[in-house]
Amino acid sequence: MTPCRARALAGAAVLAWALAGCGGGTADQKPAAETVLSEQAALGELIFKDASLSASGRQACASCHVESNAHSPDNALAAQLGGPSMDRQGVRSAPSTRYLALNTRFFFDGEGTPTGGFFWDGRAPSLQGQAHEPFLNPVEMANADAADVVAKLSRTPYADEFRRVYGADIFTQPADAFDRMALALQRYQLEDVEFNAFTSKYDEFLRGNVPLGAQEQRGLALFNSPAKGNCAGCHPSAQGADGSHPLFTDFTYDNLGVPRNMELLHNGDPTFFDLGLCARSSGELADRADLCGAFKVPSLRNVALRKAFFHNGLFKSLKTALTFYVQRDTHPEKWYPRKPDGSVDKFNDLPVGYRANVNRTEAPYNRQLGDAPALSDAEIDDLLAFLQTLSDGYVP
Amino acid sequence: MPPRIRPTRIVVALSLALAGAVATGQTPTPTEAELARKLDQLAAELAAVKAQLAMLQQQRAAQAAQAPAAASAPPTVVPPTAEAAAITGPDTAFSGYAEINYNRPTTQPENTQADLRRFVLGLQHRFSPATKVVGEIEFEHAVTSADDSGEVALEQAYVEHQLGRAWGVRGGLFLIPAGLLNESHEPTAYYGVERNFVETAIIPTTWREGGVEFIGQLGNGITLQTGISTGFDLTKWDATSTEGQESPLGSIHQELAQAKAANLSWFGAASWRGIPGLLLGASVFTGDATQRQSVTTSRVTLWDAHARWNPGRWDFSALYARGTISNTAALNEPLVGNPSLIPASFDGYYVQGAYKVWTQQDYALAPFVRWERFNTGKSYADLGPGLTPPALPTETVWTAGASFQVTSGVVVKADYQWFSVAKDSNRFNLGLGWSF
Repeated sequence: MTPCRARALAGAAVLAWALAGCGGGTADQKPAAETVLSEQAALGELIFKDASLSASGRQACASCHVESNAHSPDNALAAQLGGPSMDRQGVRSAPSTRYLALNTRFFFDGEGTPTGGFFWDGRAPSLQGQAHEPFLNPVEMANADAADVVAKLSRTPYADEFRRVYGADIFTQPADAFDRMALALQRYQLEDVEFNAFTSKYDEFLRGNVPLGAQEQRGLALFNSPAKGNCAGCHPSAQGADGSHPLFTDFTYDNLGVPRNMELLHNGDPTFFDLGLCARSSGELADRADLCGAFKVPSLRNVALRKAFFHNGLFKSLKTALTFYVQRDTHPEKWYPRKPDGSVDKFNDLPVGYRANVNRTEAPYNRQLGDAPALSDAEIDDLLAFLQTLSDGYVP
Repeated sequence: MPPRIRPTRIVVALSLALAGAVATGQTPTPTEAELARKLDQLAAELAAVKAQLAMLQQQRAAQAAQAPAAASAPPTVVPPTAEAAAITGPDTAFSGYAEINYNRPTTQPENTQADLRRFVLGLQHRFSPATKVVGEIEFEHAVTSADDSGEVALEQAYVEHQLGRAWGVRGGLFLIPAGLLNESHEPTAYYGVERNFVETAIIPTTWREGGVEFIGQLGNGITLQTGISTGFDLTKWDATSTEGQESPLGSIHQELAQAKAANLSWFGAASWRGIPGLLLGASVFTGDATQRQSVTTSRVTLWDAHARWNPGRWDFSALYARGTISNTAALNEPLVGNPSLIPASFDGYYVQGAYKVWTQQDYALAPFVRWERFNTGKSYADLGPGLTPPALPTETVWTAGASFQVTSGVVVKADYQWFSVAKDSNRFNLGLGWSF
């Protein structure tokens, strides 16, 4: 909890806080004991946890973004199940919805680096924009349209409160009501301290309250080192100049060449490839072939709580994911299938023409076949120890 | 009134005469550093100074009947004087300096570069005999735009008020009195195409802060400067870049650009010019630098001792500067593994000698040689085995070359530099500079 957060939790100042660029607060602030939500945010919490707003009646936002698991799935499925009968598989793994308060709409920065946006491909411009989609996605909450969602909303126990906040006739205007739903969800995610808790051991370390253990400190050094893990290159670990605690993401995109996950049903079609950034449904980046295969860099806060990793949920343990990072190029045979001719089909989740897009220039990817990996097994354990300090809810 | 000129006391008398001439002529009063430089030049070249004095006297006569001419140099330290107190009426004057440099690394000629390093315009306005405002704006690298590396910055912006015969007070953005170069950094004021490394990597010339400064011109050639100002900002230390290794303090100075001022710093400097041709000085700057943005409080301290001696045609100078940063272990713990941790100490020193081998009218040729050693990461706080970064190697640089004065205020320079560690940086330098 930080000074900025404290002000934010007063309610109406939340957006101003976010716009002011408070990255989580200064080190001398204690985490809040409880959250006082604004009216809109309180409505947002009810909506977030309400499974009646889905076609199945069994799926809420909180079903995939489980609060007790840092608002990420509490299972190891590659993609969550949804739809009217809760038997349709999603297309990508569900990310955590924590620490997104400072994310921005998608843009190319001054050097042309794609940055910001919500979802793995950054297609939504805000938390509010993001909140619309799951309600209408046929493999998630599977409502027919906005009117369908709003009709369900009008039958909830908190419908009167929704009318009181947004107008007595709000349900007669489904499009507006749907937008207000999404706005309430955004407010909830901005205001509820659980989404921006900064209560990890690492936060306490930055506050000077606890030291890191020797293994954790070694892991942090490996995390930061450009020649070793180089994780901080995309997942910055340092405090901001305003004392804000790091978010462990720079909100950019990277192409890691993650192997194809046959657990995902759509991958049964050999002609299907999830191309990420360049394949957004809007088509606006369709001509940017260089972005094909790139996905959003997620925050590593609470990463140790996840049970499936990367956009396709291929890896089921963090250690496996880390090992993939450092051995992808030194021992590709461990990660990719072989072609009929016996050669390794490296980067097999991308069409051949896009495989050159995979990041091979920076550590730890800049090794060659047969080289020693950037991290040894013991160093991976050190790194794991550090990543475990990023889980919220640390109690000394 | 200017004093009379006596051959037996020519150096002191000429300096007083210059000050008097400038003051009564309503031109800006010379700065401490400028005055010292003039004094040193006078001691070294008596004949040339006589000519200059004659010229100044002519200018004074002319200025008595009309508005003042341009400033002779960027105003910095202004010891209050009775002559200055005699000034009446408003006075606005321009000044400026610039340098254009050519660097050719001999082992990597493909990296040869020519650059309009800086172009600086100064503007001074005197509200009254005792009060003036000084501003100086700098353009770096010729072009400043979103897509270019150029920079526009205010180097100085302050009001100065004389409190009496001995003391003056200055408020605003001003140069910190440190070393030989920081307050007197015009290309005509130093040897070498590039400024020396000690006074750029250790003392972050051109280093300015916002605050209040008192300047006292005491008897026996003693000048004191002290004040309270903004300080450094350790919270913006970027461990992922090498900027902090190039100049630890240069990477965290604030230059009064929305400077964090929760922690202020104190500085003091003393200079002694009791013997003609000799300058002895020392300075210290200290203050907390985490600006209450961190649980760790850290103090940055920089001090230096320097000397300059001009016996005849010779010009010798020497300087030692050392910086320390406290509590760097706590500051560095979250940064371990990054390329540039915060050093606990850094220092550097140099000795330099020059000799004016030839003069004719305004022309002057002065070969020089400089030897300097500096280390921007001399020590790091212990973080434990495998985590504590090793001290950086101490770099030794020899610079040999010459300055050719075309006329007073215009100089052409050439030199060669040898590096002991970064041998690929060995380079030939050529420069053109001016100052008025």
